[in-house]
Amino acid sequence: MRMLPVRFANLAITGFLAITCFDIATGLEHWPFGSYPMYSLLYSEQRSWLQLYGVTDRGEILLRGKRDFAPFDEARLIVALARLQSAPGGNQKLDEALRNLMRLYDRREARGSPVSLPLRALRLYTVRWVLRPGLKGSELPQERILVAQATRDGAGR
Amino acid sequence: MIVRNWHRYWFTPETAEHLALVRVVSYALLFLIYLPLDDRGWTQVSPVFWMPISAFRILSGPPRNLALIGVLQILWKASLLTSAIGFVSRSSMVTAAALGFFLLGLPNCFGKIHHLDGFPVLLLTILPLSRSTDALSVDRALRRNREMRSNREVRNGVTAQYGWPVRLAQTLFLLVFFAAGWAKLRNGGLAWMTATNMRSIWLGELFTQTPPTALGSFLAKSTWLSQFAAVATVIVELSALPALFARRLRVPALVGLFGLQVFIAPILGVYFTPHLVGYALFLPWERYYTKLRPTPSRAQGAPSG
Repeated sequence: MRMLPVRFANLAITGFLAITCFDIATGLEHWPFGSYPMYSLLYSEQRSWLQLYGVTDRGEILLRGKRDFAPFDEARLIVALARLQSAPGGNQKLDEALRNLMRLYDRREARGSPVSLPLRALRLYTVRWVLRPGLKGSELPQERILVAQATRDGAGR
Repeated sequence: MIVRNWHRYWFTPETAEHLALVRVVSYALLFLIYLPLDDRGWTQVSPVFWMPISAFRILSGPPRNLALIGVLQILWKASLLTSAIGFVSRSSMVTAAALGFFLLGLPNCFGKIHHLDGFPVLLLTILPLSRSTDALSVDRALRRNREMRSNREVRNGVTAQYGWPVRLAQTLFLLVFFAAGWAKLRNGGLAWMTATNMRSIWLGELFTQTPPTALGSFLAKSTWLSQFAAVATVIVELSALPALFARRLRVPALVGLFGLQVFIAPILGVYFTPHLVGYALFLPWERYYTKLRPTPSRAQGAPSG
């Protein structure tokens, strides 16, 4: 192998490895490199999460990321809402986010999803479960606190 | 000593066909995996959700042009195919890398990085840097006469140029898993490997991710199984690092990692489909190709001595 390709290959290898190792060592993320921290925290026996409920003529219904708010999936949507909640001016940002989510929900049928009940409002709750063996995943949360609400006429919380 | 080991690790001579087969398989797999990808919906998402990562920070906001994203997706998927067959190779592979970075990175700018697509983007970046179209490519076939006159030794030769790109991609793939294992120890400490923690992950995801089965609920009833799974997860992930250097460890480590990811899918509802392209890097494609190749070609390519 000639010298020039060897130098080029060494440069490429060193570059890729340097960023990879830097991210692993520091825990930082330089996508597409990363430190892959998924599920790396310690989880308590309580799980707090954000959940979206639609207000319809028949009452509240639980809404889910991918099914109701595509292109968001559940994990991305909830983490995004949590980041907005803790950001400066979080209330205003959450109101705008919820109004946008209502528009995404309205596009469900255009995406080929089954006909759904029209929403009068969208509510964001913090919910909490106490985790114990035997749970099936269908149990209602032990605690539910309203965080934000958006209505059709644009009124917030 | 270090230089010699470095050189031996990265620059083990390989045939042009070895690298070309990895190119064909990788791009074809990526095409199949990402065929359903549709980023057009992100143009409908409010800028309030825009939390750019990496090079996306240079954009002033989320893309709003639905038609443009549609065209870019078609171009990207076409470039994956043309890269696989080695047609207009250089442009195809650069296009596949650039558009892959954009289209796979875009969703990560809306609140959360999903780590599934990072490795495919790295692979798409490595392959254009290599000479992966020196064999088994349409371009090569079209230029065959000229190449045979001027470059015959490269075409049939065994050289280190064909080894390092695959070795680099394999290394980065295994480091993905080591990073995941290391992150658990760094962020959670040894307490991550307790039955309580594993059980909380399994049970919590029943509510937050709606996995396809209630297997997590079933397994969480057993303290012993929860404990075993927690320890095994970290050990299997950390084993990726020694597997880089110890060839004998590589197969068991890869089988363990693959099993772990298959196991995670029904329990947590996380599907590692894009990682299939990483596992494919370790398969002996050249051996399969030699077996499948028509007999006359095999005779031509066989060493005379």
